[in-house]
Amino acid sequence: MSPSRKKRISYFLVSAVVVLILGKFIFNSLQKNTIYFFSPTDLLLNSETPRGLIRVGGLVKRDSIQEKKSEAIYTFVVTDLKNDIYVEYKGILPNLFQEEKGVVVEGVLKDKKFLLGKTILAKHDENYMPPEVAEALKKSGKWNKKYDQ
Amino acid sequence: MISNVGSMLLVLSFVITCYTLFIYVKKNIVQKSSIYLEFFLYYKASFLLLLFSFFILLISFVMSDFSIISVYENSHTDKPLFYKISGTWGNHEGSMLLLILVISLYGILFLLNSKNISDSLRATTIFFQSIIQLIFLSFLIFTSNPFSKIIPIPSQGLGLNPILQDPLLAIHPPFLYLGYVGFSLVFSLLLAALVLKQYNSRWASIAKKWIMLPWSFLSFGIGLGSFWAYYELGWGGYWFWDPVENASLMPWIASTALIHSIVVMEKMKKLFSWTAILTILTFVLSLFGTFLVRSGVLNSVHAFANDPERGVYILFIISIITLGSLAIYILKFPKKIENNNSFALFSRDFSILLNNYFLIFILAVVIVGTTYPILLSVFIGETISIGPQYYNTILAPFIFIFMVLMAIGPLMKWNNNSLVLRKQRIFLFFLLSIFLTILISFYLSKYNFIFFLGVLCSMYLIVSVFYEIAMYKKNFFIKQNFSRLFSHLGFGLLILAITLNHFFSKEISTKINLGESFFKQGIKINFLKSESNKGNNFEELFGSYEITKDNKIYILKPSIRKYKQPQQFTSETSIQSDGLSDVYIAMDYAGDPSTGIGVRFYYNYFIRLIWISFVLITIGGIVSFAGRKNEK
Repeated sequence: MSPSRKKRISYFLVSAVVVLILGKFIFNSLQKNTIYFFSPTDLLLNSETPRGLIRVGGLVKRDSIQEKKSEAIYTFVVTDLKNDIYVEYKGILPNLFQEEKGVVVEGVLKDKKFLLGKTILAKHDENYMPPEVAEALKKSGKWNKKYDQ
Repeated sequence: MISNVGSMLLVLSFVITCYTLFIYVKKNIVQKSSIYLEFFLYYKASFLLLLFSFFILLISFVMSDFSIISVYENSHTDKPLFYKISGTWGNHEGSMLLLILVISLYGILFLLNSKNISDSLRATTIFFQSIIQLIFLSFLIFTSNPFSKIIPIPSQGLGLNPILQDPLLAIHPPFLYLGYVGFSLVFSLLLAALVLKQYNSRWASIAKKWIMLPWSFLSFGIGLGSFWAYYELGWGGYWFWDPVENASLMPWIASTALIHSIVVMEKMKKLFSWTAILTILTFVLSLFGTFLVRSGVLNSVHAFANDPERGVYILFIISIITLGSLAIYILKFPKKIENNNSFALFSRDFSILLNNYFLIFILAVVIVGTTYPILLSVFIGETISIGPQYYNTILAPFIFIFMVLMAIGPLMKWNNNSLVLRKQRIFLFFLLSIFLTILISFYLSKYNFIFFLGVLCSMYLIVSVFYEIAMYKKNFFIKQNFSRLFSHLGFGLLILAITLNHFFSKEISTKINLGESFFKQGIKINFLKSESNKGNNFEELFGSYEITKDNKIYILKPSIRKYKQPQQFTSETSIQSDGLSDVYIAMDYAGDPSTGIGVRFYYNYFIRLIWISFVLITIGGIVSFAGRKNEK
């Protein structure tokens, strides 16, 4: 083997190893920080209860918002019109949070029917339906044209 | 009526652009003429037509001509004049027209400022620029004509999303477009040089300023966008790793790598193919950004009105442009180029190569984080999102090392294992920055390893830039590329500010009744009074809060606006700064107002420095552009 060829092969091997290590590094961090989305029906159908941070989305059920006075703790029900999940959330409700409107809550599950919400993701526009909520409603067969703005 | 004129002008500019290409092919390729007068003339005509049609759209918005769908959907007679104007590009159709106008504008700017280079290279560049212009014009005319009409004519418009009714937002899209669409010119310049076999170090010195200009606009646009999100959206932060933010960051990283590699090409006649690939990558990522924002594939807080069908078209355009340019690259890349690819380990060229490796890694991290959720949802149907921790944990250590290289690299000589200053200086800087870091740690009584590392690395960069500034007059080597100092200093300050902000910022969200107060983390919030007010197209509820922190008292007056058209609530933040830090408050309306009004309070340490560093980074680019303008 000529020395220049040898040099080139060793360059190639070293860079391949470096790329692999960095790729693995990215991949691991990606897995650690992935937040999965579930609809209430998805959660019920899932055989295991997902651990860690997840997102749950659907519509806020009518008349389900309750508030512990002066503590800023809220409970409400998120529904995909087939199944429901209770959410307890401590913090401030965003401007766009309303009954019968789409919502996505990020938090940790206590069990399959109870989510401890950490963040409520509010979208910019009142008429706007979060795409994952639209998807969840389509899956549960309860999608209504009136949501299509 | 006026809309017909606008439509006609668009179609006319389409025809003229086609004719421009035709003339070039007929006269300059078939007849091999080297006179380009007619060709340039028609190109300028197509630009003027685009400019006029844009003005007509603008006038339609100002006059609230609701016979045009895009005006009807995005404007309202109640809206202040300023937002009627910004409504022109606050929607898909208008912003696409602006995009084409910017493509064309760069062509014209190039024509006017390139008289010192050969006509054949100029003409071929304009030829490619016209092709890009034509592709987007056909997209505009066939899928999203801004002058489409509506019958019957509605008496009133639907209004512009209130969140978009903000002076900063009104001007930040044009800046972003001047940024990433501007990379089309250097892309055309590359293809022209490859076709004409003029891809050499001379090309690099011509091309560099056409990268600096859009790069400066893009840096400024990103800064503006970040500032807008900070004070208008009421999220309390400056960067959220939101896919739309990433869409503008990706071409920025690629072009930053390009700015550096092209210098090596210019001075050392190395990295020819790498620079070509970066040029293509930069423009393709700009288009990809447009696709992400405009297609509706994104599940983003930024996702405004969009349409999946258009996304397919844009994806198609991207594939054509990418494949076409790669084909030209593969077929025309000079085979007998001086292949001098050896690097001395401690040379400036090698440190730029390292810089490129780092930037490409950072770029890869951002691309993976942005596209992975999209790919997953398209191919597997699973909906996920990537938390910001992904970016922070991976990027932080690399950026720290990157900054040290940024400090030392420019002090090395080209192609030579030596420094422009005595070796001992480098250690002196190191000692000085350790000393400063310890001082800062003591002053803020923060003893955390990551904090220490972040401050140390950025201090090191800052100290060495200041040294160079001090040596500016004496050292010819530094004087030669003075503009770099602004941008490098800006970057050092940026990371310093981000580190300080990360470790010292506070966030409180709670509900407070009128007349009551709330105490937490050494901060007292007192809800003094509330009053309502009527604006032009909204009703407003003001709150008055007294904040006490470290014996300082701030009075803040945030508000909630209820817009009439379309009906929507927005929170107007109230921010006060004592120079070093911001106190920031926003109110939220939802829930039962009788139990108090929700407030989100942020204490943002050193956040102003972030905007200042963006400005410095931009100044560096502009100084470099201006400096090259008079160069032969």
